[in-house]
Amino acid sequence: MLTAPELLEFLPQTDCGQCGMTCADFAGLLLARDLSPADCPVLHEPEYAGFIEALEELLATAPAAGRGMAIDPARCIGCGICVAMCEHHLAQVPEARAGRGPGLGDRVIFRVVNGQVVVVNQELCVRLLQAAEKCSKCAEHCPTEAITLR
Amino acid sequence: MPGPWESHICPGCACLCDDLDLVEADGGLQAHNVCAWGSAKFLGSKKFHPGQPRRRLTAPFVRRRGRREEVSPEAALAQAAELLARARRPVVFGLTACGSRAQEAALAVARHLRARLEPADLNLMAPYYQALLTAEIHHASLEVLRDEADTVLYWGANPLHSCPRHLTRYTVFARGRFTERGVEDRRLAAVDLHRTELARFCQVFVRVAPGADLELIRAVQGVLSGASRATVTGAVRLAEFLRHGEVGVIFAGRGLAVGAEALARFAALGDLIRVLRPARRFFLLPLASDFNSAGLYHLLLTRLGSPWAPDFGEGDPPVFRSQPVRWEEVDALLVTGADLFWLLPEETRRDLTRRQVPVVAVGPWEDRTVARAAVALPAALEGIEVEEVAYRQDGIPVCLRPVLPPPAPAAHQVLTQLLEISS
Ligand code: SF4
Ligand code: SF4
Ligand code: SF4
Ligand code: SF4
Repeated sequence: MLTAPELLEFLPQTDCGQCGMTCADFAGLLLARDLSPADCPVLHEPEYAGFIEALEELLATAPAAGRGMAIDPARCIGCGICVAMCEHHLAQVPEARAGRGPGLGDRVIFRVVNGQVVVVNQELCVRLLQAAEKCSKCAEHCPTEAITLR
Repeated sequence: MPGPWESHICPGCACLCDDLDLVEADGGLQAHNVCAWGSAKFLGSKKFHPGQPRRRLTAPFVRRRGRREEVSPEAALAQAAELLARARRPVVFGLTACGSRAQEAALAVARHLRARLEPADLNLMAPYYQALLTAEIHHASLEVLRDEADTVLYWGANPLHSCPRHLTRYTVFARGRFTERGVEDRRLAAVDLHRTELARFCQVFVRVAPGADLELIRAVQGVLSGASRATVTGAVRLAEFLRHGEVGVIFAGRGLAVGAEALARFAALGDLIRVLRPARRFFLLPLASDFNSAGLYHLLLTRLGSPWAPDFGEGDPPVFRSQPVRWEEVDALLVTGADLFWLLPEETRRDLTRRQVPVVAVGPWEDRTVARAAVALPAALEGIEVEEVAYRQDGIPVCLRPVLPPPAPAAHQVLTQLLEISS
C-alpha cells in the first residue's frame, strides 16, 4: 500500500512553503488525491526532471488511501463485471456499457489487464467527484468481493 | 515483436472473446480485457494463480526404463507410432482444447489406428447435440441472447469458473438491444450442488442434491404443465421464474453431465422447454468451457453424422458409443487437447499406470498426462503462437491468429506427421 512517506521521497523536502504547506503535508494531500504532483512549483525546475512523472506513476498504480478503491489481486478473476457496471463507464464508455472490454484509448477508471483489474484514472470515480454515497456499483457487483471502497 | 494487436480473439475458453488488446510491455505481452483464466494462457501461468508459472513442454521425449530421454521429433514420432500400432484397443482422447485442424488430424489418426475417439466432455456435449437432433431444441447465438434474453438459468454450471466473462459479455451485465438496462432488464437463476458466487445475482437459487437433477427438471415441467404439484424443493420457484420470462435461455453445465443419466436429463430439459415454448421463446445451450469443444462436435456431426464417440475398432464406418469409455479395456492412449490424467479419478489413473498402458501426449504444457507419458511431443499454443480455427460455444466459427513466434509445431502438424509415419 502506498504511503505518504514514500511519496515524500520524490518531493524536494525543502519545505519551501510555495505550495502553502510543508512537503510532508503536500505528500499527504497527494495521497488523498486532493493535490496533484504538478501543483508543486519546485518540481517543474529542470533539476527535478522526471519527478512529476514518477509521482504520477506511483499514484496511478496504487489505490487511493482514505478515498477511492482497493482491489485485492488474490481475489480478482478478471471477469470485468465491475468495468461493465461502473457508473462512470455507463455514461462515458460505450464498449463497457455493452459488456465488451474498453479500447486502449478509452478513458476508464479501471480496466482488466493480464487477468486483473487495475485502477488507471481513480479521479474519475463518481465517489470522488460527487459524494461517496452516490455510487458503489463496482464493489456491490464484484462476485469475489475483491473491491473495497473507502 | 510488432503490434499492438487490437480485437484479438482469446483461446482461453469457449467464449472466444474477441475484444482483447495486446501490447508489448517490458519485453513481454500485456493483454487487456482478458480474464484470469485466459491470461494464464497468454502469460503461461496457472489458471487463477497468476503468480505460479505453468511449465511448457519444450522438447520431445520418450521414456526408457522410467526415465525421460530427449529425442528428435522423428524418433519420438516413430516410437509413438509403434506403441499405438501395437495396441488392440487404442483410444484417442481429449480434443476439446485444440483447434479444428488438430481435431481433423486426430480423427484421421483414430480412423487409421482403428481406435476409439473419446471427446473429453462427451457426457455433457453429446447428449445435448443428440437432443438437438431429435427433440425440438432451439439454438441461439450469444449475441441474440445478449440482445433479447430476459430470463437466464444456469443449471449445474458456474460460468465464473468455466467462462469468467460469460455474465459480463452476454448473459447478465451486457446491455443489448432489447436489454438496454443490462442486469436490471434480466432475471437470473441457478441450480447447483453448492451455493456459488452466482447466488448473489440470482433471483432464484436452488441447491440440488447429487443425482437429483432429473427429478427436479421433471418436477418443474410438471408444475408448468399443471400436470402435477411439486414434491421437489425448488420446483415451484423455478417454474414461476421460467413462466415469467419472454425470451429465456437455460445453460446446462457439467453438473448435468455426471453419471449415466446425462441423456435423460437433456431430454427432460427439452421437454421442459417445449412446455414453455408456445407463449415464449426459450433456448438451451451447453456451457462448454474448453475453447473448441463445439468444433469437435461440429466435425463429428458433419463427417460422421453422430455426436457420440466414434469407435473404429470394428471397422469403418465406426460404431457410435454413448457410454463413456471403459478404461480397463484400453491398452494405448493418444492424448491431445485435454489433460487426461488430471480429469481421471485416482483409481483409474493407478490402474492405467499399473497395467503400463502407453500414453502418447501432444500439447503445449508439462501437464499431468505428459508426466505419465511414454512419448510426448510439444505443440505451439493455438491462437497465440499459431493459427487455428475454433468454434465458439454457440457454434460460430472464428479464426485464431498468432502473435508470438511458435517454439514448436502446431498440434495438427504433429498429428499429421504421426499419421504419415504410421501409414
Ligand atoms: S512547494 Fe514543493 S518544495 Fe515547496 S514545500 Fe511544497 S512540496 Fe515542498
Ligand atoms: S464507485 Fe461507482 S463510479 Fe466509482 S469506480 Fe465504482 S462504479 Fe465506478
Ligand atoms: S468484478 Fe471483481 S473479480 Fe471481476 S474484474 Fe472486477 S474486481 Fe475483478
Ligand atoms: S472468458 Fe474465456 S475467452 Fe473470454 S477472456 Fe476469459 S478465457 Fe478468454
